[in-house]
This record gives sequence, C-alpha cells and structure tokens, in this order.
Amino acid sequence: MTHITIEVNGKPVTADVTPRTHLADFLREHLLLTGTHIGCEHGVCGACTVEIDGEIARSCITFAVACDGARVRTIESFDDDPLMARMRDAFSTSHALQCGYCTPGMLIAARDLVRRKAAEPGLDIRTEMSGNLCRCTGYAGIIEAIETVTAEAPAVPALAGYRWVGPAPGPGAATTQPTKAPVPTAARPVTPAAPKAAPPAVASRPIKVEVGAITVVDGETRFTESFVLEHSRAAVWDLMRDPQKVAACMPGLALDPPAANDHLTGRMEVKLGPISAGFSGEGAMSRDDAGHHMMIEGRGSDRKSGSRASGRVEYVLSETATGGGGAGTRVDCVIAFTLQGPLAQFGRSDLVRDLVARIGEAFARNVDMRLRAPEGAVVAPAELGGFSLVLGVLLGRLRRLLLRLLGR
Amino acid sequence: MKAAAFDYARPDTIAEACALIAGDHDAKLMAGGQSLGPMLNLRLAQPSLLVDITRIKDLARIEERDDAVTFGAIVTHAAIEDRRIADPTHGFLSRVARGIAYRAVRTRGTIGGSLAHADPAADWVSTLTALGAEIFLTGPDGAQRRVGMKDFIHGAMSTALEPGEILDGVRIPRFSASARFGFEKICRKTGEFAEAMGVAVHDPERGVCRVVAGAGGGRPVAIEASRGAGARLLDRFNDAAAVRDMLIEAGVTGDDYKMRLQVAAVRRAVAELAAR
Repeated sequence: MTHITIEVNGKPVTADVTPRTHLADFLREHLLLTGTHIGCEHGVCGACTVEIDGEIARSCITFAVACDGARVRTIESFDDDPLMARMRDAFSTSHALQCGYCTPGMLIAARDLVRRKAAEPGLDIRTEMSGNLCRCTGYAGIIEAIETVTAEAPAVPALAGYRWVGPAPGPGAATTQPTKAPVPTAARPVTPAAPKAAPPAVASRPIKVEVGAITVVDGETRFTESFVLEHSRAAVWDLMRDPQKVAACMPGLALDPPAANDHLTGRMEVKLGPISAGFSGEGAMSRDDAGHHMMIEGRGSDRKSGSRASGRVEYVLSETATGGGGAGTRVDCVIAFTLQGPLAQFGRSDLVRDLVARIGEAFARNVDMRLRAPEGAVVAPAELGGFSLVLGVLLGRLRRLLLRLLGR
Repeated sequence: MKAAAFDYARPDTIAEACALIAGDHDAKLMAGGQSLGPMLNLRLAQPSLLVDITRIKDLARIEERDDAVTFGAIVTHAAIEDRRIADPTHGFLSRVARGIAYRAVRTRGTIGGSLAHADPAADWVSTLTALGAEIFLTGPDGAQRRVGMKDFIHGAMSTALEPGEILDGVRIPRFSASARFGFEKICRKTGEFAEAMGVAVHDPERGVCRVVAGAGGGRPVAIEASRGAGARLLDRFNDAAAVRDMLIEAGVTGDDYKMRLQVAAVRRAVAELAAR
C-alpha cells in the first residue's frame, strides 16, 4: 500500500492504494465517483477521460500513485462550469448520446477541445475527437454539438501561466511523503542484473538471412528463412544434427540434458521491450542424416500469462559455393508456429518479419562463430533475452488488439 | 484487465532512478506510461518494480544552444504540440506532435518514453531519425554517452539502452529558417499506430537532406543526400516505381500492399516539403 494525497474535485483526499490501482478504479471504487466510466481499460476508448492538473488524461492507464499531489477533476464537478453547461445543452439538442456510456469522457474531451482550439480556423473536430469512441450515435450528433458550441466563440477558462512540461503533476506537487524506496506489495526476490557474458573466443561476423513471405493459415504462422555459411556441409551438419548444439546457438533457448528416444525438454525465454515470457515445454525431433534434413517439433506454456505455444522447425542443408568461391552450405528452414491464450489476442506479420530476420541472423552468427572456434575453445553461449519467434508473434498479436487504436 | 501487482518507486534524481533499475532487472522505468500502461493492464508486461521518473526535475529540462535544443526525456507530446517549449524546427515538431495518438494520451506520453519504448510505428522514432537527433543516456555509475538515432534504434522495441541505463534527453539540431519539412503517416483509424510513415527534411543551408520510411516493422530506413545533392534526391521521388526500387535497395521490406503504403507515405512527405 502507498499513501497518497490527491485533490479530487476540489477536495483533498488521502488514501492508501496498491500501486497497481489505476486512477479510474480509485475514483470509482474508493471515492464512489462512478461518473468516470471504464470501457476498454487499456487506453483506447476514451470513456475514462478525466482532467489531471487541468489537462485531459486517460484514467485507466494512469496509476493512482502517479497522481499523488495532483488535482483531478471528474465529470461530477462540471455542474457549475459555464462551458460544460453549454456543451451539455448542445449534446442534448443534437442528440449526441444514446446509451450514455461514452458521454462523460466525450463531454470532458469536447470541452477541452473547445477550450484549447475554439478560435482555430479550419478546426477538424472529427480528427480531434477521434480518441473517444461512441458505438451508438455514429458521431454525427456529437460533431454537430461541438460545432454548435465552437461557433458561439465561448469564453474559455485559461490554465495557469507556468506549466510543467512533463506528465502532471511533476516535482512541484505537494505530496504527503516521498516515495523513493520501493513500496513492497508482494514478496518478490530481487533478481540481480544478468552478468555480462565473457567476450567470445571468436568474433562474430554478420551473415545475411533471407526471410520469405509470412503467411497465416488456420492460426498457424509460417515462413521460410535461409542463409549461407562459409563452412562445409559436413561441418555444419555435425552441429545442426545435434539439438543441444542448435539450442546453444538460439538466443533465449535452453534445453535440458538429452533424454532417450529423441524427447526434448527445455525453456524458451523471450523478452521484447517490457514484455517478457518464459515458455517451458517439450518436443521431439526426427533426423535424416543422409538427406541432411531435420525436423524439431515442440510445445510449451508461459506460466506468467498462461499462454501456450506450439511450433516446428524444419531445415535441410545443401552444398553451395560462397561469394568467395569456397565451399559453403545453404541452410533452408521452414518455420511454423501457433500461439494460444492471452498473448494470442494480437497479431501483425510486418513486425514478425523484422524479428524473425534478427533471430535468424543471431542464430546464423552463433553457428558460424562456433564452427570457426578452435578445437576445445570455450564459446560464449548465445545471448539470453534476445528475440524469439514466439516473441515475434507475441508482439504482433499485442499490436492488433492493443495498439490499433493508440498510435504514437 | 487489471495490472498484476508491482512495487512502486518515485525517485527525485536520475542517479536514484538508475540505482533502482540496476538493482532489479525485472524493474521497469515509466514516464507517462501511455504505452506501458496498456501493456501492464493486459498483463503482457509484469515488472516487479515500476520506477516513476516523472518527478525528476532534470528530465524536464530544455537546453537551448546555438546549434541544437535538448529536451529532457519526460517532456510531453502536448508540451511540444502547444509550442510551450523551444522548437529547433520552426514548428515541424509541433505539427508531428499533434498527430500522435490523442490529446488525452499526448498530455502524459513523453518523447523519451516513446523513444525508449522504440515501437517502430511511433512518430518520434521516424521523425527524429530524419532530423538527425542524438540521444543522451546515463548509466548507473553516472557515465553519460551520446548515441545518434541511427545507432540507438536496433529494431522493433529494441534499443542501444544497456541494463541500468536511462534515456535522459534528446538533442535535436537547429534547422535554418529556409529548412523545409514533410510528414505523412498512414493509419487505418486516426490516432492509431501507423502502417507506414514518411518523413522528409531538406535544409540546404546546413547541407541536410533526408527522407525516412518508417513504421515498417523494424528500424526506420533513412535515405540521405550528400551535401548539395538534396534537390536531386528529392526529384527522384516524382516517380513511384523509382521510389519503390529506392526503398527496397535501402532495406524497406514488405508485401506488395505494404510497399505501396510505404511508397505513398514517403512521396506524400516529399510532396508536402516541396509545397512549402
């Protein structure tokens, strides 16, 4: 629990909140100010719009602890505001609401727009109001209401002269106590930062990886990837026929020691920006030494999010000449995977492509580095926390749902 | 959904913030939280500790020099949109800022947060690449370094930030009064993340001409003219087929539809520049 003091609708409020409580929940559940509505709860729909230090903000993605010392104004405190009174009348006249769910956020955003831009020539109300969704009216009435109020050239309340240029309230805010040391909410072991890997015995060199078109069929994402290594096929196959060695070259993948009957178990750690997941799972492989062909299948789940992933990687090695004319090996991979559960709510293939290319590159570099290392040399393991295929999907899927409406 | 439980800290200085994240590699810095907030609510991100950097005075600094202006990391998009702070581009930053998401997001979303998050579709990622901005980073030992945008963005949500390091500011070069700019992004819905982005900058006095294709899924791709060759480079954007080839050679990837968006975005940006 963290102790906070917030001025809400002109009255100081002190409370103990958990850091994860967002401002909308704090207003609704602690203060019973239920005029602030929660629609999407991830910053897309605008129903939860309130004012923080005079500027409109989304209260569902602003944590109450971050508002310590701020002045918050909700729809309940606009009763005596002349501009809002005019806006309410216009909404009523123009039939700018039906179910009313979006209305508190819509009114606060509309009033703010008029306050800031009523005098602006060529004001594009539709664009300016695009952050507030209404599923009833088709927006025509809402736009008309705002046009009406704007055309009246109303007197608009001004904000204070000096304004903090960061997110409100800033360091000038009067808070009850500084929150410097973390306020523990749950017993969590402190994880030390990962030690830096020792410099590898052999320097890695860039390898170009070609990524084919990405297709999604019945929820399964498929693509091809190929690269050429400046090593003989026998040498490359010696490494790539062994799942342990392959895993050691794959960023974020760790296999358990080999078991009988080609059964594989292990973990895949994925981290991208603020998202991290650890998939534990099992798999099997089938290998054709004569054809230099390998197929690895696996499935796993992420305990944190409860998501499940399954996939297979198939690759075949062929002899080719390198750019320098020496003996080389071409590696052609076909990769397919499916993601289910919370993390599967998202999906966009253009980002997957970038990630896939980079994972493939890291893998190819690691293979090349290992093959160039002198006999018996210690080669630094593939860096953990790199990018993974699963992550690519994760990120892609994430975007479709979450970021579709949030661009910045 | 509600965010999973996390601890919360609100340091007053950059050094304290660095120490907090250096001590816990599951910790996450948060500025305005307009990208991280949704990820927390959806439980895609579940950090152990959230370090709120919005009360650090130094991170809201505006440093004006003859050749550049430096913004602290937590300057909001809205402050830039409203032209409440110096603009080394004579209004272009404000024009870009007003198209970022929505006003209620811009009042809390910050320039540094957006860059550290490094979403390829973010407006600042492409725009500041085109402007040749530099990023200031401070490490846990107080060591500072300066990284050009080109080297800062490694790919989708991947940057040059090392563990324990904090992005503390952005240095944007000053452009001459004769500089011209163009910006275009293509979105399915206003304010959503862009599917393609084009940014064009030409400042003959400073010898700078860059066209950036962004929002392509990875790092933005910049096409740059050598000094004096700016007008020649911009002329090449008249021909759509030639632009497509130019983008492919520069490293832009995508299927036919995506390439058409990318070509349209950069050509519109160049056209806007030319019309000014």
